[in-house]
Amino acid sequence: MTFDDIRESAVMAFSTLRANKLRSALTILGVTVGVLTVLSMVSIIQGLNRSFADQIESLGSNTIFVNKFEPSFSPQKTQEELQRKELTIADAEAIARESEAIAAVAPFERKLSETVRFKDKQTETPIILGVVPEHSYTMSQFVAEGRFLIDVDIRERRNVAVIGRDVVNALFLEYEQPIGKDIKIAGNVFRVIGIMEDQGSFFGQSRDNSIYIPLTTFQKYYPEVVFPDFVFVIIVRPKTRADVANAMADITDTLRRRRGDRVGEPNSFGISSQDALLDVYNQLTGATYLVLTAISAVALMIGGIGVMNIMLVSVTERTKEIGIRKAVGATRLSIMSQFLIEAVVLTGIGGLFGLIIGEIVSVLINTYSPLPAFIPIWAILVAIVVSGGVGVVFGLYPAWKAARLDPIEALRFE
Amino acid sequence: MTTPHVQTDTQEISHPFSSLIKMRDIWKTYQMGTEELHALKKVSFDVTKGEYVAIIGPSGSGKSTLMNLIGCLDTPTKGEYWINGEQVADMTDDELARIRNKEIGFVFQTFNLLSRATALHNVELPLIYAGISSTDRHEKAIAALESVELGDRVTHKPNELSGGQRQRVAIARALVNQPSILLADEPTGALDTTTSSEIMNLFERLHAANNTIIVVTHEMEVAERAERIIMIRDGEIESDKKTR
Ligand SMILES: Nc1ncnc2c1ncn2[C@@H]1O[C@H](COP(=O)(O)OP(=O)(O)OP(=O)(O)O)[C@@H](O)[C@H]1O
Ligand SMILES: [Mg+2]
Repeated sequence: MTFDDIRESAVMAFSTLRANKLRSALTILGVTVGVLTVLSMVSIIQGLNRSFADQIESLGSNTIFVNKFEPSFSPQKTQEELQRKELTIADAEAIARESEAIAAVAPFERKLSETVRFKDKQTETPIILGVVPEHSYTMSQFVAEGRFLIDVDIRERRNVAVIGRDVVNALFLEYEQPIGKDIKIAGNVFRVIGIMEDQGSFFGQSRDNSIYIPLTTFQKYYPEVVFPDFVFVIIVRPKTRADVANAMADITDTLRRRRGDRVGEPNSFGISSQDALLDVYNQLTGATYLVLTAISAVALMIGGIGVMNIMLVSVTERTKEIGIRKAVGATRLSIMSQFLIEAVVLTGIGGLFGLIIGEIVSVLINTYSPLPAFIPIWAILVAIVVSGGVGVVFGLYPAWKAARLDPIEALRFE
Repeated sequence: MTTPHVQTDTQEISHPFSSLIKMRDIWKTYQMGTEELHALKKVSFDVTKGEYVAIIGPSGSGKSTLMNLIGCLDTPTKGEYWINGEQVADMTDDELARIRNKEIGFVFQTFNLLSRATALHNVELPLIYAGISSTDRHEKAIAALESVELGDRVTHKPNELSGGQRQRVAIARALVNQPSILLADEPTGALDTTTSSEIMNLFERLHAANNTIIVVTHEMEVAERAERIIMIRDGEIESDKKTR
């Protein structure tokens, strides 16, 4: 097969498309939808992956989280999990004491929302975090103005608070200086001593709508830890990235001993690093990939069947043409490649449209929705290969049928 | 390459390879339900290089069937056929395609032009399958169209041409690849006397240039311009004689 052959076939293909505009358009539409489906799936997954990677990154590097529960995306808890003991400040102290691999330990307790007032202004949404001074370092979150909590705040259970930007905006006027003012948290008076740097959001939830108070003060006002409103978490910062595994092993040893977990039984607490969070996510996306791939396969299949159908019709309609071509010397291979190229031209156009529409949709999603979507280079390759492949696979049978027609019978066809 | 091993005919030409076409006891049988229809019966003849042969016979006598066999478009039910000394029955599909492309120029009773393609593209078709580059192809096709006086109609599609012009496009297509044999099935059937005599003149010129020509016709005037007339009746050769 020469380049001339291919060009001849492509020219013929376009002239056939022109001769049957509506029919070709419908077939192309089928392939376009198929390719578009593949691209949307890829785009969604890529977008989610990228967003998640950013989110994890924003938590700060190589932090280890110790929690009553294992990290999970499901809110359902088993009976065993519900009966677990709480972690304590003493646990956090033991962890800090017993491991060489650890730079800092910061336990914190969190309440999901609380009513906060200043003068006549009020907000119900802020998250209240009971923290220790190390929190700032372990989470890589720092004050923008004023100061963060210090040891003496913890020791004396002071009513002081560091507030996030959202809280500032909710309670104070533009020209007011929040530092030094007294705000009321659930009716108790706290003095504002600092304002946190802006931290953006994590999975759509603002992290600037937070109030940091001493952990001891928090426990004075909220003595009970009731899941899921309240959580107690110990954040551990290993010395280096290389220490993550050792630190996790040390923490596990310490906590199993302190909590009396029996040999052979699983941990009665959850411990995870950012890597572990990524693992959970990857499992989740693995399943999603599978489902999305199946959807794509079905969509492409439908497009492909359309192509096959149209090519079979085309072969029948053009039996005479095939006879003429064979009579003047076309081999089976030339006829076969002509019809295959025709099928690939059809699907190729479909793929191209799919790509263009996909790109537009991706841009629209980025512009008008919070979901990040983008089409990587390899998705463009996928679209090309997939649409071409559909053409070859579904064009093969019609092309073969055309190629093996008997010349004299084809010529007699009316 | 196969040497003919059947020595049946008494008029067997002494040189086995001097015949361009050699048919021995060819039968073509169609199965029509339970009945057998013999479109051709025990047909044997030879055509040498440069001969101008007319095949004549009543409608339905098997002329087109014979032409299709000679042109390697169809295969006989029985019998042996050598073209250029090669046994056709031994050839693969692709070899037959090559023979049709290089050795045979076929002018069909019903033209058989691609209706969506221009005259030029129709004439280029055999060259495409001969693997000739597009510039050479273009030149040769134009030259072939000019030789049948259609140089001013190259971009016309078949339905934009008269019957005689279509016939001439079909002839140009048959000649463009310089085949060893020109087969023409009723080339003047649909034409008026002026056009048909033009086409017969063209054939005579081709014959003078040492081309081998086989023409099917039912008109005696057309047949008599050939060197030799083969008469067919009911699928059998009735007579085979020289005109001069
Ligand atoms: N595919 C076929 N199936 C059955 N019978 C056929 C077939 N093709 C031809 N025949 C029969 O074979 C006989 C010879 O047909 P053919 O076309 O060779 O005639 P012809 O001599 O070319 O006639 P005409 O001058 O009308 O073109 C006819 O009786 C025809 O009915
Ligand atoms: Mg006929």
